[in-house]
Amino acid sequence: MDWASIPFIPLSMILPLVGILLIVFLEERSSKWIALIFSGLTLIVSLISLFYFDFSKSHKVQFYHELVLIEELNLKLALGADGLSYLMYILTTLVSFVAISWSLRDHQINHRLKEYYAWFLLSEATLVGVFTSWDLIVFYVFYELTLIPMFFVIGIWGYKLRLYSAYKFFIYIFVSSLFLLLGIVSLSTHHYKQFGKFSFSYFELLKNQYDLAFGVFLFLLFFIAFAVKTPIVPFHTWLPDAHGEAPTAGSVVLAAILLKMGTYALLRFNIGLFPKESVFLMPLLVLWGIATIVFASWFTISQNNVKRFVAYSSVSHMGFVVAGMFLLNKEGLRASIIEMFAHGLTSASLFMMAGFIYNRLHSFNMHALRGSIRFMPVFAFLVGITAFSSMGLPGGSSFWGKFLTIMGAKEYTLQLALLVIAGAFFSVLYMLYLMKTLYLDTKEEGRLVHFVDVRGFKLLAFLLVVLPMFLVGLFPFLFFSFFDAYIDTVLSQLVKVAGGISWR
Amino acid sequence: MEIKSLISIEYPNLALFFPELIVLITGFILFTLDIILKRISHSLAIGISIMGYLIALLYILLNFDLKGETFYNLYVRDQFSSLLQVFMILLTIVLLAFTYEYQKFKRSIYSEFYYILSFSLLGGMILASSYNLLLIYIALEAVSVSFYIMTALQKRDFNSKEGAFKYLILGGLSIALASYGAVFLYLYGGSMNLRQILHLDGPNKELLILGLILFLFGFAIKIGVVPFHFWLPDAYQGAPTPITAYMASVGKIAFFAPVIRIMPLVQESFHKTWVITLAVLAVITFLYGNVVALVQKDVKRMLAYSSIAHSGFILAGISVAETIGLKAVVYFLLAYSIMGMLSFLVLAVLERSGAWENQIQEFSGLRLSQPFLALVFAVSLLSLLGVPPTVGFFVKALVFMSLSFEALWWVAILMIGGVGISTGYYLRLVVLMYMKEEEKKLTFNPTGFEKLSMAIMALSLIVLGILPMILWNYISPVSEMLFGR
Repeated sequence: MDWASIPFIPLSMILPLVGILLIVFLEERSSKWIALIFSGLTLIVSLISLFYFDFSKSHKVQFYHELVLIEELNLKLALGADGLSYLMYILTTLVSFVAISWSLRDHQINHRLKEYYAWFLLSEATLVGVFTSWDLIVFYVFYELTLIPMFFVIGIWGYKLRLYSAYKFFIYIFVSSLFLLLGIVSLSTHHYKQFGKFSFSYFELLKNQYDLAFGVFLFLLFFIAFAVKTPIVPFHTWLPDAHGEAPTAGSVVLAAILLKMGTYALLRFNIGLFPKESVFLMPLLVLWGIATIVFASWFTISQNNVKRFVAYSSVSHMGFVVAGMFLLNKEGLRASIIEMFAHGLTSASLFMMAGFIYNRLHSFNMHALRGSIRFMPVFAFLVGITAFSSMGLPGGSSFWGKFLTIMGAKEYTLQLALLVIAGAFFSVLYMLYLMKTLYLDTKEEGRLVHFVDVRGFKLLAFLLVVLPMFLVGLFPFLFFSFFDAYIDTVLSQLVKVAGGISWR
Repeated sequence: MEIKSLISIEYPNLALFFPELIVLITGFILFTLDIILKRISHSLAIGISIMGYLIALLYILLNFDLKGETFYNLYVRDQFSSLLQVFMILLTIVLLAFTYEYQKFKRSIYSEFYYILSFSLLGGMILASSYNLLLIYIALEAVSVSFYIMTALQKRDFNSKEGAFKYLILGGLSIALASYGAVFLYLYGGSMNLRQILHLDGPNKELLILGLILFLFGFAIKIGVVPFHFWLPDAYQGAPTPITAYMASVGKIAFFAPVIRIMPLVQESFHKTWVITLAVLAVITFLYGNVVALVQKDVKRMLAYSSIAHSGFILAGISVAETIGLKAVVYFLLAYSIMGMLSFLVLAVLERSGAWENQIQEFSGLRLSQPFLALVFAVSLLSLLGVPPTVGFFVKALVFMSLSFEALWWVAILMIGGVGISTGYYLRLVVLMYMKEEEKKLTFNPTGFEKLSMAIMALSLIVLGILPMILWNYISPVSEMLFGR
């Protein structure tokens, strides 16, 4: 049997769907195991596919499959992965498996199990679709479809304010992505006016030419949707509610993958389709990214609720991703992509930390969990690694994101680099504050000694995200090999279309 | 013109007119039997109706590509009319199963209902297949009069009578406006045939524009376009719920059909008037419909306003007089006819559970006692909202596409606002059904046929969204044909 001909990507969308069917028709007590098995299988499929991905040609779309939906509009279900998509695809299958194996032993998940696991498998399938579709309408369909599972997960299994948060989450993302829809169809009609046929294919739309004003208008239509999804600071208000009220596994998927949809799409569509406009708007966007880092860090420090604390810290990390991306040079783009992956790992781990402590203490209050971690050595060790990674300590996963962003900024001016360093400083500050609260503050010890350390499936979930952090931190070049070729193509495209970057 | 051609006698080509003829004969048989037998039994009436409709449906499906004109160009059959008629007949057949159970429960049984239904279906079918002002007028009356009567068919219910009365008065106004517009159009073109009138490049353009706008306003009342919508919420709320479903689906198709037929005839000289008039009407309609729906406590009324809002979305597509706009509009119209029918039919079934008043809080925890109905209703609501992968998403994308084609950015941006507002009320029902605890225990079972037809409709909403080519392959050639390409 020829392994390379296996349709890896369609397979990893179909497997979860098969899992959903089984969950629906089999009895409730088996649903968690079905979910675990099928997301595990998907993870294995994605890991096997690593051997067949040609890293030397990572700027080319590989594992490509297509199915024509409407001939006349050139609407096709085109699935495939280049380096960037592929990295996100691996992250998706990994984190979905982590989220499901965490849920097995989560006390919060004690009712309507069938629906719960079905929604998680559905979100896995659609997320794979988001990162691997090359047809913009199909991308949009998957992008919107990820809303539905998360809406129900937040609304049914969330904490106290779950309904409010679910509404807010849905309405923010749904309305903002309508702008994206308008942008997509405008691109297509523009293509029609230039080339005489409609198309939604990414490669076809790359050929479009715009004058600057219209281009900026389209850029903004795309940008509104992704700025809300990412989120960038004035649009971030849905995030602390959604992440704070979702059950642990929901927050894990939200923070680790759903936010990456925004940054992935910014990189893929805004920079890929509108190089000229990106160069034009670049100073604004870089500064906006840095502002996001700084403001979000301040918001983070002032939080009382540890889950909202972690949620805001995600926003500040996304600031690094956005700022790095719009630096539009090799270091910046590398920083941005590796930070996406690294943040997927650290935020998953931090949310599991919050959920774990809640299971023991039944509180998210920062004061309540002072010094709570000291009698759980394994847990304390894992959280320590995560926190240092997230802070950007050399050897930790976020180090490369921050370091390379500073390098990239230094290519323009020293002042810009200093601004990024200031942002990085605040992000260290809140992490240190979290660690101080967890490890160093004291609490009457009688209440804590009977705490049971992390074990079983929860330990597995932790290890699956903590070990890759070392991998990212110590061997970043393994990951650069995923997307270096892609970055080179983007940059050469920028030089070709926009004539390089004049802003120095 | 030669005298000979004026007096030549054309033998009607009944092959073209056969489906309408069958529906008409069905109506007359029902009518006659009702008189002869004093009161026709319901099973007999339903049997005859379904048989007649099925024959008509089969005839259309077998001769889908039939094309031609007859009765001195009064009557036109082409793929467009066939397509719309297939949907109208199918939805009417589905409806028959629901009306009997509903009327039995409400103890408001009328055997007249069956032949009035078939007359209204006949009117709708003719509306979809004529360019002639006079025939459109007659068909419009046939549909409207049937609707007035059907709205009032609820015994011991004041709301039903009130709704019917309002509908009657405003319907009269609408007919008056439309016929007044028709007079101006005749003055301008010297013909009853819309194709001739609009193709003519005559001297008095203001007559044409005035006539066209008045004619459109007449239809706007029927469709429920703001500011002519005042009858609609009352009529929709007062009417027996299956009839509401009928008006929101078959009625919508029928009243939109002539407007859609005018769309490809729009000429350069009044293109701008067309775009501006319809775009403004569309924007007012969907904004008003969605905002008012947001504050409704009564779900039936809320869905009535949502129907107004959807008329607005369709009008936004109609304002783009291009092939892509036409395709979007036809797809939207057919998709809405399924969504609208399904959502009202769920209410019709729920009303049979006893003390059900269609209040919004009654939907709380519906998933526990009626999981099937809750699921079906959720699918139809998400489709009305336009969440992928349902068909509601696909048609909204098509409308956005046609708006961007015409560069009507302001309409598109406002439409985003309209859809954004609508999330509020659709989502609230989904949240109530799936995330709240049960308020009312409902103990009853929908009949097997009801379940089957609702399941098929819900499934078709999803399938048409995932595999849009199923319907697209019919709609696209039809639109090209109407544009004469």
